[in-house]
Amino acid sequence: MPSHVEHALLPVVLKKIKTMKTRRDFIRSAVLGASATWTLPGFIDRTFAELGDEARDRSTQFTTGKDGTILVVLQLAGGNDGLNTLVPFGNDEYYKARPKLAKKESDLIRLGDGIGLNNSMPFLGSLFKEGRLGIVQGVGYPNPNRSHFVSTSIWETADTTNRANTGWLGRYFDNACEGVDPTVGISFNKSTPESFGAMRNPGVSLSSPELYRWIHSGGNQAQAEEFFSELNQPGNDDEDGPTDGGSIDMPAGGKVGGLAGESNLDFLERVALDAQVSSKKILEVAAKHKTNVHYDGTSVARNLNLVSRMIAGGMPTRVYYVSHGGFDTHNGQINSHDRLLGQLDSALKSFFADLKQQGNDKRVTLMTFSEFGRRVSENASAGTDHGKASCMFVAGGGVKGGLYGKYPSLTELSQGDLNHTVDFRSVYADLLGGWLKAPNIGKILGGEYKGIGMT
Amino acid sequence: MLTPAKGKWTKDEARHLLSRAGFGGSPDEIGRLHAMGREKAVDFLLNPDEPIEAHPKPEWADMKTATASMEEMMRERREMMAETRDLSAEQAEKKRQEMQRKMQQQSRKQGLEAQHWWFNRMLKTKAPLREKMTLFWHDHFATSIQKVGQPVWLVKQNELFRDHAFGNFRELTQKIVRDPAMMLYLDTQRSSKKQPNENFAREIMELFTLGEGNYTEEDVKQAARAFTGYQLKRLNGEVMQSARAWDEGEKTIFGKTGPYNGKDVVNLIFKQDACAKLMVTKLWEFFAYEKPVDSQMDDLATTFRKNDYVLKPVLREIFLSSEFYGEKAIATQIKCPVQYLVQLIKELEMESAPLGFPMMGQTQLGQVLFMPPNVAGWDWGKAWINTNTLLSRYNLAGSLTKGSVGEMMGRGEGKLKKLAERRGKWKGGNGPDFAKIAPDSGRNETKKLVDGLIARFFCVPVPAKARDSFIAYADSKKGVIFTDKELGELCHLMLSTPYYQLC
Repeated sequence: MPSHVEHALLPVVLKKIKTMKTRRDFIRSAVLGASATWTLPGFIDRTFAELGDEARDRSTQFTTGKDGTILVVLQLAGGNDGLNTLVPFGNDEYYKARPKLAKKESDLIRLGDGIGLNNSMPFLGSLFKEGRLGIVQGVGYPNPNRSHFVSTSIWETADTTNRANTGWLGRYFDNACEGVDPTVGISFNKSTPESFGAMRNPGVSLSSPELYRWIHSGGNQAQAEEFFSELNQPGNDDEDGPTDGGSIDMPAGGKVGGLAGESNLDFLERVALDAQVSSKKILEVAAKHKTNVHYDGTSVARNLNLVSRMIAGGMPTRVYYVSHGGFDTHNGQINSHDRLLGQLDSALKSFFADLKQQGNDKRVTLMTFSEFGRRVSENASAGTDHGKASCMFVAGGGVKGGLYGKYPSLTELSQGDLNHTVDFRSVYADLLGGWLKAPNIGKILGGEYKGIGMT
Repeated sequence: MLTPAKGKWTKDEARHLLSRAGFGGSPDEIGRLHAMGREKAVDFLLNPDEPIEAHPKPEWADMKTATASMEEMMRERREMMAETRDLSAEQAEKKRQEMQRKMQQQSRKQGLEAQHWWFNRMLKTKAPLREKMTLFWHDHFATSIQKVGQPVWLVKQNELFRDHAFGNFRELTQKIVRDPAMMLYLDTQRSSKKQPNENFAREIMELFTLGEGNYTEEDVKQAARAFTGYQLKRLNGEVMQSARAWDEGEKTIFGKTGPYNGKDVVNLIFKQDACAKLMVTKLWEFFAYEKPVDSQMDDLATTFRKNDYVLKPVLREIFLSSEFYGEKAIATQIKCPVQYLVQLIKELEMESAPLGFPMMGQTQLGQVLFMPPNVAGWDWGKAWINTNTLLSRYNLAGSLTKGSVGEMMGRGEGKLKKLAERRGKWKGGNGPDFAKIAPDSGRNETKKLVDGLIARFFCVPVPAKARDSFIAYADSKKGVIFTDKELGELCHLMLSTPYYQLC
């Protein structure tokens, strides 16, 4: 059942729910009796949330199905050198600071006055010329931190005090996509990115579809899976068992990960069902949708290929997260950095061609970010050390192309680093508001940030 | 005082106590605790006879060895500097980076060894509550190796926590002020009269002792001045308060004025009412259940103050209270990842964890020892569980019951696999002791077999329908012989359920 059918069913289901005591009653009688479709757990969650007073006024978004907008977040892990990515070739200071590493004008794709793009990225250059690539210059945040760990955390949580235990995307899922399917966010990373941290719905994270499932690897797998499936649905509990909580009449006040008034067992059963159905769906979609567009063998290309397969399969996902690592270029940067940018460019070229072939290119916007830029001056081993402000790419359907923000001064530095001219949270604000059409942006970002007008 | 538990001391209560005041255990371990009776069992946990030195720490973490190795490192550094004087800038930089890489490698290796040491301690200790409290303190005074850098300080701090497992909270807080790991983590060693750093002053009030709303911004500012001038000697971990860097002026904190230093501030904090309640509430939520009854926390806070902030009487009152064995407490807690892993290994009657398994498990499930996410520690309860971590729990259980840990690591964690191979312990490891879990003779009576396993794995009986599923599955496997392989698969199915996540 595609998710948009839910709308039509909603009044009927709501009426039915109102005559029942608990969510479990509902699941037992209505859902598993009928066909247990994969979007149901989140759907039930949302329906019940709508019954609660606190949630009644909340503006929520439904999952995309076949037509909603999609954001792909691409992390450049390690601290991407913005200066050699988006090069200020018109500035003498740049050549003074980087006698070994500086890019000559002839080695660049000219984008504007004194600004050029590293020529390892011909595809992004052409996107820019078509007006489908926005580049934000001088992005950062106040009191920047030079630790990979801390600064990544700041970008992912959008909290510069590094204290939030939820991420900016997780808060988007919580506040704007209430009760939707767990696959509202999918990260193709080994571990859950901090940005997915959520009170209710942290999305799903998997390194590969083949591992995101119950691995039986014993005899008679089909039969074992049947038993497993049965045990991981709500409704096993005895009628009046002591653990029968989760009544919708219970007082509000949920904790991280749970619904208001939900017992730990109820919560576990819900997640277990979510895990089962999302795993099944992801495996199915990954197996079914192949592409004839060529992707490189790099991990960023492989993961973008997976994203495109998920989109082709009509997943209700609003946000995908992938990562491209190796940007911590302390030495011998010239070759490694260009190679990394080239891999990125080639992966994006395949990805966007693939989307176009699917007819989904207008639905997808991709944003890159990195925890920090590099020091302006190169170091003695032809590399660069941890710095501050850097640049971001925003490409695809929803973008008004062009250069945004101001290129940071190369003379007014702070401890040898570029000062930021754009706060990264205003880029997030643009994508959340302009592209994903999220309400409550202030709540998601923990403050009011004015967008920069790129979506 | 909380109402004491009365009535028969049941085996299920003994299991509950061992799960919460420890990391659970095999039926034998539960049986031993049960045989003691309620009060003796609690006193056994609070007064362990296992000496604190029973599980020696890695050699490099000994302070003398660590000092010697740091001196050696500095000597090498000096030599390197001398050598590079005649080299080109590029070559010199290369040398410098080589040196740095070497130090980082050593830190990483030591970090893994420290994590391994503590995990094994939890697994093998005869003083489980002492280790559980050490974990509690580690979460409370959260400090991460990722910022501190040198593992030796984390091990030193870990010993401090263990020494004060049931001890005086105020004294522990005083020691934390001068603890090298904490000083590096919250930047107190860099705080001076000229530039007082508010980081530690804020966290000590907000997170460690009083809680938000029980102090003012001005209290934080003034306290930050008192915490200036602490200097850490990196060679041996000694801490001194430098008279020059310390702000000796008058400070007004909680309405009292004086030329306070850090020790004075801690004493002032412990005169505030909020302090006792914050700590007893946190203990209750850690051991019993979330959102406790307010009046009961007032009772516990009274006990805590009456005993001058010594924990043992408070813990004793908790573990002997009827509330602790009530419906709201039994089988309602989501096991934290570390407990999940330790308990699983114990319940599968394994002497030790397969190499690499604890780290793989901690990483996949989201709780790596010595790496809490930030100064507020881990998020507990429901926050441990999402679709990804739940499936990982199921699959980790599968890798243990089927003896395929190596295969699982080979798929996911290349580095760990290499590490294990290098140590020559890759193949096999050790698996569950199935003969002990279910003797061959009893395996064909599937109802009995399943009931025995239910008693082993679950803190309360599972619903009838789940039990029926287990039995039906066992019946479907029943052939001529029910070998360890089939038993392992049955165990895996039982562990792959929401029920097994609770204790």
